[in-house]
Amino acid sequence: MPDMSVLAGPQQHQFNPYAENGGTILAIAGADFTVVAGDTRQSEGYSIQTRYAPKVFRLTDRAVLAVNGFAADGNMFVKKVKQRLEWYRHAHAKDMPLRAIARLIQTMLYAQRFFPYYVYNILGGIEEDGSGAVYSFDPVGSYEREACRAAGAAQSLVQPFLDNQIYFKNQTAAPGQSHPTHLPLSDVLSIVIDSFTSATERHIEVGDGLEIYIVLAKGRSLQGVEGLRGLREMSSREDGERVFVLQRELKKD
Amino acid sequence: MDHFPTNWGRPNYNTFDAHATYPLHVHPQPSSSADGVQHTQQPIVTGTSVLALKYKDGIMLAADNLASYGSLARFKGVQRLQAVGDYTIIGASGDMADFQYLQYILDNLIISEEINPQDGHKLGPSEVHEYLSQLLYARRSRMNPLWNSVLVGGFRDGQRFLAYVDLLGTTYKASTLATGYGAYIAQPLLRKAVEGKEDTLTEDEARKIMEDCLRVLFYRDARSINQYQIATISAAGASISGSLKLETSWGFAEGIRGYGGQTQ
Amino acid sequence: MFLTRSEYDRGVNTFSPEGRLFQVEYAIEAIKLGSTTVGIRTPTGVVLGVEKRVQSPLLEASSIEKIMEIDTHLGCAMSGLTADARTMVDHARVTSQNHAFTYDERIKVESVTQAVCDLALRFGESVHDEDAMMSRPFGVALLIAGIDELGPQLYHTDPSGTFVRYDAKAIGSGSEAAQSELQDKWHKQMTIPEAQKQVLRVLKQVMEEKLDQHNVQLAQVTVDKGFEILDEKTLKEIIDDM
Repeated sequence: MPDMSVLAGPQQHQFNPYAENGGTILAIAGADFTVVAGDTRQSEGYSIQTRYAPKVFRLTDRAVLAVNGFAADGNMFVKKVKQRLEWYRHAHAKDMPLRAIARLIQTMLYAQRFFPYYVYNILGGIEEDGSGAVYSFDPVGSYEREACRAAGAAQSLVQPFLDNQIYFKNQTAAPGQSHPTHLPLSDVLSIVIDSFTSATERHIEVGDGLEIYIVLAKGRSLQGVEGLRGLREMSSREDGERVFVLQRELKKD
Repeated sequence: MDHFPTNWGRPNYNTFDAHATYPLHVHPQPSSSADGVQHTQQPIVTGTSVLALKYKDGIMLAADNLASYGSLARFKGVQRLQAVGDYTIIGASGDMADFQYLQYILDNLIISEEINPQDGHKLGPSEVHEYLSQLLYARRSRMNPLWNSVLVGGFRDGQRFLAYVDLLGTTYKASTLATGYGAYIAQPLLRKAVEGKEDTLTEDEARKIMEDCLRVLFYRDARSINQYQIATISAAGASISGSLKLETSWGFAEGIRGYGGQTQ
Repeated sequence: MFLTRSEYDRGVNTFSPEGRLFQVEYAIEAIKLGSTTVGIRTPTGVVLGVEKRVQSPLLEASSIEKIMEIDTHLGCAMSGLTADARTMVDHARVTSQNHAFTYDERIKVESVTQAVCDLALRFGESVHDEDAMMSRPFGVALLIAGIDELGPQLYHTDPSGTFVRYDAKAIGSGSEAAQSELQDKWHKQMTIPEAQKQVLRVLKQVMEEKLDQHNVQLAQVTVDKGFEILDEKTLKEIIDDM
């Protein structure tokens, strides 16, 4: 006979202020470009809430932010980051540099240390020196600059693939040759698209649509990928860094 | 000296922030209630699913007229669809007391934003949805949620608008939406009937889809009732029907063991 | 102006019928009593110089502090009621550190200048429960020197909260003569050593005492080394080299 005495007292229910809304995000830095991508499915449990809820946002002409986790926190966080960027523009008469945005995001996340935004952030863009950069964060603000990062529901599926394809982990270079430190944009885009089709195949919370943001350093052209289906420019000016978004369909089952 | 310009000219809170340690954008506020306050832990009198879809001319919403007290069908003539301003209709499931409070807040919002200023600025559906989202998110962040899932439908400047917001502040848009049990039972039916046909569905066709979904819900959701209302919002404005009766047929039950008159 | 005192002298926040705030104007006058302070901008840095009035042979000249560091890339020199400048420099320092903490970058010279000027008009009566910070305007003007992504810059702030950027600026009792001298001598391609000597020459002209390493102070913000106050030994070498 199981011990039922533990059930005798009043049962305590506590309101849970968080939800987990699935989806996956990913970013890869090139030598003079950065790619930030996310699927567009929003779900809770086994239910698809919507097939189109963007998780990647253009912040400035050289910074793009992907947010994943609890969607309500994510949207609020992006809204507050954009507000801070606007205030910064007013106070300092310039767009906030990428690494300053990264630090700002840390301070904003850590300010909520005891009631965190349940959100994994990946920030991608172009640094002041013109190099491509990716910053990844945990929900309370720990961050580091990396060459690539996946986060969200299918992180465990995508990150090992990226480790192999971007960092060449477990790959041995041909004798007398070495692995490249940065891949060309067309290769990176192929890897991103493959990552998401694979994650869609094996993870129920990933699918519906794919949005890939491409940030190009000043003076760099799209070289070789300009004809891509579903490519749209989002830059506010032509003579600085440029932002493009590439939209693709993913399986909806 | 206080080095945070945002605090200048405000009352000082030395007791709370003696060393000005708060970040620039945070203002420490003294707590108004020293001794405990009660927060909502669970819904009491509840409404079940609300359905909504996009059709050719606008947005259609539907909800039944029942407010349940647990499993008791307590109030059978409750209206759960409500117009907000000239361009929006909202529909709520969840706690009906909280919904009435939301209606009160929104009524006052319309008074203070449209009626009093008389400046010609009207709140559209996206503004109403944003306002509700911020309100519900703020309440969940205070661990004192308004226990509702709300659909916001609207039509303004030739644009249809349909979005969801709930007690957590979670939001999303889609061409078909359903709350509560409807998310499991009606949403697949709605998607099959509507997705890809948003720009061609007529009002009559949409109404037929809604009634079919409500009927299935009435058959399967024990917290639903066969009296409902349908609202439309389009270029013609908002209109909410009177209470309608669902046509149901129970003939099939005769042959099913457990439903009919069989004894064995 | 001093002979026609009026009732508008009393309230620090009361406009006169001509639309003037006398207390602020008097505060600006107070600076003209202060010791002369000079700043020169060059393509590679900014040089600041001040006259220290050593009023007694028993006074320890090194204890007179009229140039202060704000951050590694920012410094300022003052003229007027130097005690008031402490509040402003303190605020500038906190603002600069706060910026570095939040944005992981050095604050711009204009931004820190703006932050200091935001303080200037926060005087007067306070309403109930409000934190009144000051009862009168600051009686000091600053020359804020610094380097950021826009290059070396020199700003002048006064008690009205106005700030303006200069290539070369003199404030304090000898400022009129000093400013016209600067206008004659400043040129675009000045080097730091040239600027140092020019600052000293201008000070020398307007000082009553004979200029030496004890009664002037020199500081600079350079691309290479950031803010530094020159020690007496270096100062003496420059003076000897003039």
